[in-house]
Amino acid sequence: MNNKTLIDRRACLKGMGASLALPLLDSMGWAEESGSRHTPKPPIRMGFMYMPHGVIMDQFWPSTPQSFRRSTPSALRSLRPVLDQCLMMKGISGVPIAPFRGAPHALELSTWLTARLPDADTRSRINIAISADQIMANYVGAHTPLLSLELATMPQTHKENQAGLNEAYYSHCSYRSPTQPVPAEINPRNVLNRLFGKASKPGQVSQADPLDRQMLDLVLDGARDLRRTLPQVDQHKLDEYLDSVRAVERRIAAIEDRQKEAALEKAGVTQSKRHTSDSPPIEIKIPEGDKRSEYMQVMCDLNVLAFQTDTTRVSTYIGSTPNGVSYPELGFSDKHHSTTHHGNKDQEKIRKVAAITEFNIAQFAYMVKKMANLREGQGTLLDNCIMMWGSGLEDGNEHARENLPFIIAGRGGGSLNTGRFLPDTKGNQGDLLTTLLACAGVPVDRPVGIATKELKEMKA
Amino acid sequence: MRRALVHTACSLVLAAAPNIGAADHSALKADAETALKKGVKPFVERYCIRCHGPRPKAGINLKSALNNPSSPDSYLHWKKAVANVKAHDMPPVDSSKIPTDKERRQFIEAIGKLKYLSPKDPGPFVIRRLTKVEYGNTLRDLYGMDPDIANELPDEVFGEGYLNSLSPLQTELLLGIANKVVMHVLGRGTILAGTPTEGGDLRKAARHVARSLARNAYRRPASEPELDTLVKVFVLGRDNDLEYREALGLMLKAILVSPQFLFITPVGKIESKEAIVPLDDYQLASRLSYLLWQAPPDADLSALADKGRLQQEDVLRAQVKRLLMDSRSRALFDGFGAQWLGLDELESQTFDSKLFPQMTTAMRSAMTDEARLFFESIVRENQSVVRFVDADYSFLNEPLARLYGLRDTVKGSEMRRVKLTNPNRGGILGMPATLAATSFPNRTSPVNRGVWTLERVLGETVPPPPPDVPELEEQNATSIEGLSLRQRTELHQNDPVCASCHRTLDPIGFGLENFDAIGRWRDHDDTGGPIDAAGKLPNGETFSNPAELKQLIAGRAEELARNLTERLLAYALCRPLEGYDEVVMDQLMEKIARDDYRMQSIITEIVTSYVFTQRRIKD
Repeated sequence: MNNKTLIDRRACLKGMGASLALPLLDSMGWAEESGSRHTPKPPIRMGFMYMPHGVIMDQFWPSTPQSFRRSTPSALRSLRPVLDQCLMMKGISGVPIAPFRGAPHALELSTWLTARLPDADTRSRINIAISADQIMANYVGAHTPLLSLELATMPQTHKENQAGLNEAYYSHCSYRSPTQPVPAEINPRNVLNRLFGKASKPGQVSQADPLDRQMLDLVLDGARDLRRTLPQVDQHKLDEYLDSVRAVERRIAAIEDRQKEAALEKAGVTQSKRHTSDSPPIEIKIPEGDKRSEYMQVMCDLNVLAFQTDTTRVSTYIGSTPNGVSYPELGFSDKHHSTTHHGNKDQEKIRKVAAITEFNIAQFAYMVKKMANLREGQGTLLDNCIMMWGSGLEDGNEHARENLPFIIAGRGGGSLNTGRFLPDTKGNQGDLLTTLLACAGVPVDRPVGIATKELKEMKA
Repeated sequence: MRRALVHTACSLVLAAAPNIGAADHSALKADAETALKKGVKPFVERYCIRCHGPRPKAGINLKSALNNPSSPDSYLHWKKAVANVKAHDMPPVDSSKIPTDKERRQFIEAIGKLKYLSPKDPGPFVIRRLTKVEYGNTLRDLYGMDPDIANELPDEVFGEGYLNSLSPLQTELLLGIANKVVMHVLGRGTILAGTPTEGGDLRKAARHVARSLARNAYRRPASEPELDTLVKVFVLGRDNDLEYREALGLMLKAILVSPQFLFITPVGKIESKEAIVPLDDYQLASRLSYLLWQAPPDADLSALADKGRLQQEDVLRAQVKRLLMDSRSRALFDGFGAQWLGLDELESQTFDSKLFPQMTTAMRSAMTDEARLFFESIVRENQSVVRFVDADYSFLNEPLARLYGLRDTVKGSEMRRVKLTNPNRGGILGMPATLAATSFPNRTSPVNRGVWTLERVLGETVPPPPPDVPELEEQNATSIEGLSLRQRTELHQNDPVCASCHRTLDPIGFGLENFDAIGRWRDHDDTGGPIDAAGKLPNGETFSNPAELKQLIAGRAEELARNLTERLLAYALCRPLEGYDEVVMDQLMEKIARDDYRMQSIITEIVTSYVFTQRRIKD
């Protein structure tokens, strides 16, 4: 029985607060194009980070294209060092939410990456659309040990019934299929274990056991037999099972491939696809306290590490959810939602919304600045990423969605023309996601959600 | 279709058909059509359609509801329309046309008939994944695992039902947990014990083991092709140089990640051409045991399923009773009761530790234990649901008794049954757990308590506040200075938009103001003024203290029972109730009323109902 694990785990975890020293992960090169004599081009990776309830508009939108970098709006202060690698656009509208006007917060997150409304006839069940991140995961996921990475700051168990919609719409942005929301990890230690495995103990069966893969193959065959005997209404449920088991099977296969490559490199048969100039994998420090910024930063670090080591190429991070979240670290205990209903006159609340927004963007800035400082190939990790921060509402006070606020960081391997603010873009959320997928090299056979076109003005 | 249901002479056979005949049903349907045409349509067109037409306000589209009056979506719209019209919340007070009270009553009555437009339908009962708790308990019952082994799985998202889906992350974790179970089982050597004799047919022996493992894990006999799959896994292990027992371990791992284990699946292909079929006995056994125990069927229940006897109503009734008497039925509180009472987050709820240093972890779990033991006593002693409101006993330990002001009655941390002589106490309205769960970190919330009582106890739908209304603590500080909480809350009633609902909500909440945010009795509120707990319900009934409020609510037995039955039925079916379920509910309520709304009657009628025992297999 092959008990070898993904990476040689010299990794040592010294308990809470200790740092994890990861080894140089030779085996974590880029999987495709093997056999090519050219230096492989780094793959494009795409990540999304979310904040609910919108922004204070005049502190977020630059007044002119020129002022974007010259007199940057206060909300974007933390991004100043990397603004040349950012792209902002105003005029991207969200999906109109009628007939769900009573459910702005159940929909802001669930429509964010689907660009589509839930099915109005089956509100109590999840029935929406595959999300943009999962479209990409289906295309590139086979190359990496993990199909995609989903992170969140809050547990996804919010209970509130808006317009009869299923509660999960509140807290999920990723959907593998119209009926299959993807849960997110909220515990950084679990994420770390999932990415790189636990330190193996003698006798412990490895999670990357090739026998498991073959066993799952047989189980899948059996499940297909079972499917044939089921009534139609059950078959669809079983398809979700088949999909998720196939994902695990692919994951084990990808890990095996990496092991083989590493062995060949070690034996000197092939050369590492990594450049010697590439930065070594970053260190992960799991914080001891419960400070929100530290927690969010370790989640950001994990995202960076997952991309840097090509463990996955797609991520979503729900930095905050549209329910009862407060920010004690900012010195007030108000719930995010109640501060956003400021009536455009309560200066105290407006100040708090601005502070919460700046705080969230600062965590995103922490992540992309880190990426901008990591060497990869001829450039930086950020050069090969498309990182998007955004909210599903523009103005939380009015629940307006005409100009979704978002920031894109990274040049997408040269596909995006950054360092600009486009003040008058005509398009919608679906157009934006469709364009981002195109920039990431994902051939999209049909538009995402309500998309009607690609936004050529974004591209390099 | 109704296979094998007709011929048992001695035992009552499950009521596959509700007890209204086809002729009755068509008469009711015709009546419903008249009600739609004469009662609902003119009202909607006169008073509602201007705002709730094709560009509907608040998402309530009565135009589409009129066009398709029995669809699940319309059901929701009707329900909201009734709640708003009943509360005089709609049409808005400033509309040019306002219906008379008589018109309101007739409209509500007519909508009550629309359920007969729905075709008879038990719903699909799509193969259902075990929830996180059910999965952990199943590993406990079958392999002696600590159910906490499931803790690393993502939490379930509960609403009405839960998210019956599976993601790659969950599956990956399930594989990891399966590894641990296999190691545990191999280590203990009881389940996979024994080595076949030298030279014996190992495959044959493995098939034998597979048959027995799968009977428990799949909660039904495995088919021959299913056994073939498992033996192939065994052979895979052997081909990779695993010892006999290790190869059996690999087989067990395959079982634990199979859909037949993770989901409740039917036994074999359904040959019926009908769209609606009875559940097979194994599905019924699982549906029952996961409802009452959140755990798999035990040997007795499985044996009855093997004999095909669960479709006999008297057998099924006896099993309900037996399962309820088993200690595992505490799952009915953990899975249902705690959610019903809104206690599932009490453990992590924020309380101001300076004001309420008593709210320690131990106190919170004592509070929840009190609610659980009380709930269980009503279930196991088969008491009427009215006792939920007016019981004269509870379960206390010393710290809890101190909250009750019963200093010397109870000693020590152990919970025990205590007779209560103070009529303000006893029942869920005077219980610290529920009183705390409806409070803010630093004070009571009469509004929350009013909503809680109306919705969770009496089953009314309270329309949500209009957007952009400030919460009480956000009101302008100078304008409320010197006002008591009651006076501040009553500001709601100056504004006609707020008044329509708060007229009903607030008096109930004030009636409980003698209980502070963690359920202690008090005569003065936080501002030092005396508590004024007197109030009037919309129907004119008055009360002057919590005891009298409790009596008024206990007098509404039918509403209490219907609310609890509806919630439990939705929980049992893992889905929200829709059109035809209302018809089923009416029939259940008739039977339950005849038995004085006793708790076991409610549970038994649900389990033996048409919607629980049948399923639709075609769209």
